[in-house]
Amino acid sequence: MPAEVFSDIARVDARGKVLGQTQYGADMHLPGMLYAMLVPATVAKGAVSNIDITPATETSGVVRVLSLGDFPTLSPEINYLGYPIAMVVAETLEAAIEGAEAITATYETAPFIPLMDSPGATVVPSEGFDTGDVDTEFQNAAEIVEGTFETPAQHHNAMELFGTVAHWSGGRLTVYEGCQNSDSARNALAEAMGISPELVTVKSDYVGGGFGQKSPPKLQTALVAEAARLTQRPVKLVTPRGQLFHIANYRPRSIHNIRLTANSEGRLTAIDYDVVQENWPDGGFRSNGYHEDVARLYAIGNLRATAGDIYIDRNMPRHTRGTHPFPAGFALESAIDEMAYRLGVDPVQLRLDHEATTDIIVGQPLAPHFLNDCLREGARRFDWSRRTPEPGSMTLEDGTLVGLGVACGIFGASGSAAETTLRVRADGTTRIISSGHEMGQGIRTAVANAIVQGLDVNPDRIEILLGDTSVGPQMATVGERGTASIIPATVKAVQALRARFEELAGPNPPAGNLHQQLARLKRPYIEVTASELAPGQDASALEAFRTGRRAGAGSEYPGFTSMSYIAQFVEIHIEPGTRRIRMPRAVSIADIGRVVSPRTARGQMHGGVVWGFSTALREQSEVDPRFAGYLNDDLADYVMAVNADIGEVDVGLIDKPDTMVNSAGVKGMGELVMLGTAPAIANAIYHATGKRIRKLPIRIEDVL
Amino acid sequence: MRGLNYTFAETADAAVTQFAEAGGSARYIAGGTNIYDLMKLGIERPAHLIDVSRIEGLDAIETDGDVLRFGGRALMADVARAPVVRDEYPVLAESLLKAASQQLRNMATVGGNLLQRTRCMYFRNGAGSSTTVGVYLCNKREPGSGCAALGGLDRTQAVLGTSEACTAVAPGDWPVALAAMDATIEVFGPEGTRNIPIADFYLLPGDTPHREFNINPGELVTAITVRKTPAGRTSTYHKIRDRESYAFALASAAVAVEMDGDAVRTARIALGGVATTPWRASAAERVVVGSSLTPELALEAGHAAFTEARPGQHNAFKVELGARVIADALIIAAQRRV
Repeated sequence: MPAEVFSDIARVDARGKVLGQTQYGADMHLPGMLYAMLVPATVAKGAVSNIDITPATETSGVVRVLSLGDFPTLSPEINYLGYPIAMVVAETLEAAIEGAEAITATYETAPFIPLMDSPGATVVPSEGFDTGDVDTEFQNAAEIVEGTFETPAQHHNAMELFGTVAHWSGGRLTVYEGCQNSDSARNALAEAMGISPELVTVKSDYVGGGFGQKSPPKLQTALVAEAARLTQRPVKLVTPRGQLFHIANYRPRSIHNIRLTANSEGRLTAIDYDVVQENWPDGGFRSNGYHEDVARLYAIGNLRATAGDIYIDRNMPRHTRGTHPFPAGFALESAIDEMAYRLGVDPVQLRLDHEATTDIIVGQPLAPHFLNDCLREGARRFDWSRRTPEPGSMTLEDGTLVGLGVACGIFGASGSAAETTLRVRADGTTRIISSGHEMGQGIRTAVANAIVQGLDVNPDRIEILLGDTSVGPQMATVGERGTASIIPATVKAVQALRARFEELAGPNPPAGNLHQQLARLKRPYIEVTASELAPGQDASALEAFRTGRRAGAGSEYPGFTSMSYIAQFVEIHIEPGTRRIRMPRAVSIADIGRVVSPRTARGQMHGGVVWGFSTALREQSEVDPRFAGYLNDDLADYVMAVNADIGEVDVGLIDKPDTMVNSAGVKGMGELVMLGTAPAIANAIYHATGKRIRKLPIRIEDVL
Repeated sequence: MRGLNYTFAETADAAVTQFAEAGGSARYIAGGTNIYDLMKLGIERPAHLIDVSRIEGLDAIETDGDVLRFGGRALMADVARAPVVRDEYPVLAESLLKAASQQLRNMATVGGNLLQRTRCMYFRNGAGSSTTVGVYLCNKREPGSGCAALGGLDRTQAVLGTSEACTAVAPGDWPVALAAMDATIEVFGPEGTRNIPIADFYLLPGDTPHREFNINPGELVTAITVRKTPAGRTSTYHKIRDRESYAFALASAAVAVEMDGDAVRTARIALGGVATTPWRASAAERVVVGSSLTPELALEAGHAAFTEARPGQHNAFKVELGARVIADALIIAAQRRV
């Protein structure tokens, strides 16, 4: 199968989305449903000394107020601004809002640390990493590049807010909610409600963007379930975006000191890397993960990495699209560019000359990969050869400065044990019980394509069940492993079904497509179940998958490490007067192994460039340290890229299978595609202006 | 439950009467693009909305006589595409087209636009609505309560026209173009009709930042007039912002000039994004009038507009940016002479 290229099919769910028919969690409307609104704490740290809920209970339409002591998470202790101290449940959304806004509280306040550079903030070191002999390389270095790089706190800002609808019936709880991990949401709900997971169903058929923010169980879900239990009616809560900024997770701000050496032959020899990030004690996003993926990008044999956390009194930072390799890649790929200037080598050539074959973190081979193909194809499409390296040397007639920049990205190709059940029926329909979450990335289209490429079935009558714990185990769709995990199992199911059919039909099968053949054989359907493990996994991983526990593996597998790769080329124009920064053109080429769904893969790449542009030049969650609150907490003031910002984007895929990572040769891309663009833009701005900017987002005042 | 009366007024007279009958908590509504936003934020909590979007004739766009006359409820989108505005007054058309989004321009009126409230994040947050979190003091929202923007995140705050009580930027683009074009605002209220030069329409914050407009309770913007001038053709609205659409100005300039060869005979320059009101930059005008326009002189004019600037901690760049926006706008406008 890996030898075959998949043909392009349209998105299977595009029509429903364009017509507005697709149902997301908060679209669910149930008879007798009540509406809820949270009451956020108005101080950053301390304890509620008194809360007055009477004005809410007296508001007409309010049915119930859950306040301090009514549920374990409704505790008086406040660790960040906006923490919910009550929830009002009412007959209408308007009444719930009015009730919530009427609740007042007084607090005993405590000092707080709002930012990682606030007075009193201290670094807590975490475990470092050291391989080779970094000190010797520094002593022998012909060139040393060093710099301090910073990336800001950034929120995911999916279009879909956190929306939860909870409903009890006969002792069973059903929750409709957009999430990336419905099994884990189910287990968390079961624990919070004190009931068996078998009594809980979480339905997350479509997710309106996740990006990591919707992978951990949400604070609100169990609270809504409790409200539904107490009122014996369905309850809906859609948390407003302003509150989400304060209580949901986000990308932590991080500061990276990087030193890079080259010897007199122009070989890159060592990286000395230190990072600190804002975090919580026992936070969900470790500080010593930054160096790991980027250390595998090039053949640089010596690495010392140190890391630390600075505890802050804001909501907990966690995984955000691009995770560790985004900030770390901004630092490393900027340093590589600077080193290319020092060495007088073209930055594409410098990268080509340092193709990695070894994972120096684990000390084992990297799976065959094609970063250099990405670089060469990107350079060809971008016409990189027209670039004159001298900063400021390329201008337009009106004085506009032109900068051409390149950078790469890398992300671990992880996978998960997975199982799928495929049924093709004589009546013309096909149904697959799949696993994962459709967040817009196109997992349903990829599954459909794996089926139609291998079986002659009606392509528009395939029912793909996923995201719903009642249809089967639903794996966490995180770390760009959803498609890469379910597709190998799907391909196996397709092969098994074909084999079963051939066995059934014998040497002279009847004519027609598979449905017609089954009808002629008087078989209502054939069904097969197939499972696949990630390399090195045993049956216990499949058992974990079946019970909604962690079933992931990689990117480090026994005997090899597998990574996804991308090369980004950008053209930046800077106006001579006001220094407005524009990006008229970008070329993005990725190695994601075998491409299962060309249409949605290309869509992901376009979106990745837009996101990369946005992180580089637009996005920053702005915290006023006096309050530890986010001020730009809506889509107007949290500035993200818009269509008018984005020029021509040309994307390409190498489409060669990774023969080691799984039987389909498929690697993930969801995180990868946003990597590389930010450093490519910073490098292009250097090329245009001679100014090396080491802090994101880069704004007009930085180049004025 | 909080109640809300919603009534339609068929005439300006009826609107004013309804307003008087409703008492102090009434607000007019036309496109609703700002009032609903402010209601969601808890900044406005009206008990009565009087819908003026059906008043006959109030949407007229008249361009035949010596003045351009735009009815108060004419849509931003319609004014921007009126042929005379589009072809002979690019400063007006561009100021509309570079504002908001097409969807908003299809709803918002040119009269309501004059009264848009500031985007200061401390003003918008902290009025206690469920869509916001935290408590931020604001003298505009609660007179005398204090200003959290002072000493806060002030990158987008004003550098001109500020006071100890308020540094909030006037948000509009259209009012800046109107300021350059010496527009007159016609309001109708309990005392009849008043015509207010735009220079007198906006109030500096001083120690009363909650008073933003020279308009009395119950008065309705019925029209905006602009005296016709050949300077309209040689004009532009140049806007620099944090992204290329759907963003308020970091610095903008409305410029209209009349040229004698390379020499500037008259110049009208107003600034947006940098001041607490739409800001006429007379000092900049004086630099260029009577001289031949070079890039150096244009930049000198730009700098002249900011000699009184009082930047805060994070917005000093607006001084240099604003100067360069004026300089570029002067060149763009002058190049439009036929």
